[in-house]
Amino acid sequence: MTAQVDTGLLSDLQRFGAADVSACFSCGTCTATCPLVTDDATFPRRMIRYAQVGLRDKLLSSKELWTCYACSECSETCPTQAEPSEFMAAARRYAIANYDRTGLARTMYTRPFVGTFIAVALAAFFALFMYAGHGPQSVGSLNIFGFIPEELIHNLGIGVMVLVFLAGLAGVATMAHGLGRAGGITWRSVAGGRPALRRSLGALWGALAVESLGQRRYRADCDTDAARLPWFRRRWFLHAGTMWGFLGLLAATILDYGLAVVGIKATGTPVPIWYPVRLLGTVSGLLLVYGASMLILQRFRAAERSVRHSTAADWTFLALVWITGVTGFAIEIALYLPSAPAWGYWLFLFHVAVAMELVLLAPFMKFAHAVYRPVALFFLALAQVRPGESSGAADA
Amino acid sequence: MTGRERRIGVYVCHCGGNISDHVDIDQVVAAAQAETGVVVARQMMFACSDSGQGDMERDIKEQHLDGLVVASCSPKLHVVTFRGVAKRAGLNPYEYTQVNVREQASWIHSDDEQSTTDKAISLVKAGIARTRLSEPLEPLVVETTQKTLVVGGGVAGLRAAIGLADIGLGVFLVERAAELGGWVGRFDEMYPTGKNGRALIASLITEVRRRPAISVFTGAELVSKSGSFGNYRVGIRIGGSTPETLSVEVGSIIVATGFETYQPEVGEFGYGIEGVVTLPEFKEAIDHSSGPLMYHGTPVRNVVYVYCVGSRQSADTPAANAYCSRYCCAATVAASVQLASRDAQVHQYHLYRDMRTYGKFELMYTESRKLGSVYLKFADDAPPAVARDDSGRLVVTVRDLLTGGEELAIAADLVVLVTGMIPRKNEELVSVLKLPLGTDGFFNEIHPKLRPVETVVDGVYIAGTCQGPRNSSESVASGLAAVTQSAVILKKGFAELDPLVAVVDADACTACGLCLDACPYGAIEMTLGEGKSVAIISETGCKGCGGCVPVCPDNAIDLRGYTDAQISAMIDSLLEVPVA
Repeated sequence: MTAQVDTGLLSDLQRFGAADVSACFSCGTCTATCPLVTDDATFPRRMIRYAQVGLRDKLLSSKELWTCYACSECSETCPTQAEPSEFMAAARRYAIANYDRTGLARTMYTRPFVGTFIAVALAAFFALFMYAGHGPQSVGSLNIFGFIPEELIHNLGIGVMVLVFLAGLAGVATMAHGLGRAGGITWRSVAGGRPALRRSLGALWGALAVESLGQRRYRADCDTDAARLPWFRRRWFLHAGTMWGFLGLLAATILDYGLAVVGIKATGTPVPIWYPVRLLGTVSGLLLVYGASMLILQRFRAAERSVRHSTAADWTFLALVWITGVTGFAIEIALYLPSAPAWGYWLFLFHVAVAMELVLLAPFMKFAHAVYRPVALFFLALAQVRPGESSGAADA
Repeated sequence: MTGRERRIGVYVCHCGGNISDHVDIDQVVAAAQAETGVVVARQMMFACSDSGQGDMERDIKEQHLDGLVVASCSPKLHVVTFRGVAKRAGLNPYEYTQVNVREQASWIHSDDEQSTTDKAISLVKAGIARTRLSEPLEPLVVETTQKTLVVGGGVAGLRAAIGLADIGLGVFLVERAAELGGWVGRFDEMYPTGKNGRALIASLITEVRRRPAISVFTGAELVSKSGSFGNYRVGIRIGGSTPETLSVEVGSIIVATGFETYQPEVGEFGYGIEGVVTLPEFKEAIDHSSGPLMYHGTPVRNVVYVYCVGSRQSADTPAANAYCSRYCCAATVAASVQLASRDAQVHQYHLYRDMRTYGKFELMYTESRKLGSVYLKFADDAPPAVARDDSGRLVVTVRDLLTGGEELAIAADLVVLVTGMIPRKNEELVSVLKLPLGTDGFFNEIHPKLRPVETVVDGVYIAGTCQGPRNSSESVASGLAAVTQSAVILKKGFAELDPLVAVVDADACTACGLCLDACPYGAIEMTLGEGKSVAIISETGCKGCGGCVPVCPDNAIDLRGYTDAQISAMIDSLLEVPVA
């Protein structure tokens, strides 16, 4: 089929970054250099070519955008300084903006001042909304739910989650439809019959557990800093720590709520540090704050090639994560101080407002990669184990 | 056969094994030794080496040799070398004969040593037979006219005229058009410096006008040429309401008649459809506008260039241009830079086979990519297609090899067919000057590297794009090379020519006129001599080809150096040794 050339694609993409990519003359050194390239996923050259030539649909239905972990080895070896790694990042932003149909993501990415204003205004809105239903600030001990009713936070949170779920689902559907069509993957080939299902479950395990949670290839293949840095300063660990921390906190929050539902422990009851849910929360929080702080520091110092270019979108995401983590710890401290300090109440309001915002904006900002990347990795895993092949045969 | 008692030296070369591996050199030397008139016969490892040449010079002096035979390689390689040996030793260079026992014996008959040796012996004996009858000859010295005719008033011709005047030669500059300037005079911005073509030509014309040694004829053509190298008489027809023909004397001629551009057939890559133009048409459009390019009143947003139109055509195309036109890649890239730098919104797609922006022009290619030009490579057997679709949009479809052979459709406001240079139709000039054409139809030089502006017609030089596609700076360089070559033959005031020319025995000549038709150089004229007409061969016009010799029914023509007597003696000698 003849593909229509979109003459405006490259200039549109360049609003998301990747200003230097027109220097690329398609030599393919980047692809040859990339430690992640396989026969089933060749990039970045092919992705850059799609962008230069104006093949918008081809670009947006490429799982390869999300199989890259931005180690920047390609930018190091590029003979024309076209910054292929930066292009891949920009193309992912472009993809997030295109999978989102509301236009909010596009605004967040292409208009940093408007985007920042939206972030601040949204946090202020959440804070004002919750403050409108506030109670007294008791002075004996810090009774945060006396100040902002738990019920209010809970309902607001449920509302935000529903919105995010719907927006995320729409984005994933758009993405999966494109990827499926490009890869010739149908419902039948994914779920039609037992062998297909078994294959799909295997791909799902590989995409979610091994690659996303386990960070296998990020750790094993994209280890360009392994020779220079100790494990706790390597990119994969900082990323994994932040991610595990976030997921741990999410789990702790849900468990805490669950304990209250089954009547074991009311939310907000002071418990000792070794109490399992609290321990999980504390350890996760430490990981999150450590990871996010180090990532911010790295970006700030721009010492590594991979973080030499930072966009407003990178800063917004890291800032929201970091603020959520650090304010959480501060509340923890305030909770155990002898008399309830007034700042503890205000900090709590701030913490909840920012956390709400972080979740609500997730589909419209860099956070969205947490969903889109596993989807792409699932399609990659499917491509690697084709019908009729066992994984053993593929290895041989 | 001749009364003269000869003292001939024969030298058989091993060529370091090239000859001696398959020819028994001892036998050849012994056979030569036995020939009448041979006083020295020796073998040499390398006859052309300094020591080989030195040994021969010493023999010539000490043994008072009056003939020299070297049996070695092709005369093409070393005839000049060994004539030099003779000259240095005081022997007339035309008493020397080169026998080729390498290309004609050892290299081609390496399977049978005795037969090869026998053949070498035959060849050497024939060479000796020719030398026995050789005569001392002196080079022909002709006085030369200190003037040059330049045909073509483009950038190469103008610059050459100025160069000739500056070294003190008179110049007749003939231009067919009404104005000087040629192609460059029509251009605005030119690559790679962005210099204005019209301004360049204007400054050259000013310089030409300033030099009284240059006579300019516009609206004029070269219509006749007679005489020979160093002393040509040329006819210049000057047009106008009352055409007149002027006859002038010149010593040399520089032809710089330029090129024409390839004109696509209707339907070739969509040519004929509105919005499909050639590179010169496109260049004219951007040169005559400022700001965003407009085409028929609408702004041009998308431009698609199709490269190699009319160039590098496959052999099955009728009258195929197989050659690369060389300048068009750079010219197109430069035009796209010119357009992009004044209109950042324009999208430009270059559909190419191979980008040949050689040398410094590579930088323009990089710049054009930085300014947003996209380059798509198509396969030779899958050229792009240009058409209007159902909705009337101009669309180019192409398979881009760098996007995995994906078929792409690009909507275009303007499609530029990148057309190359083709030779100018100049049949009259070709027949007047007897200029040789290459297979591509451009004028041919003698040697592309070592004699790049000389033609087989002595004193006639070629420069610029009449010789093949090139850009203006290369044209100017070749124009100046032709100036130097003119100076080489004209500045001494005389020239030496090879004396190996044909001569007529006036007593034997019956003025039948057959030789006049046989001569490809027009060097023979019928002249009224003492009481009767005889054919006279111009010594400076004759190239020594020998074409007239066999057609003469009265054997009245002989070729110096290859006389009938010498050729007969060689044949007799060859027949003496039975060929195995």
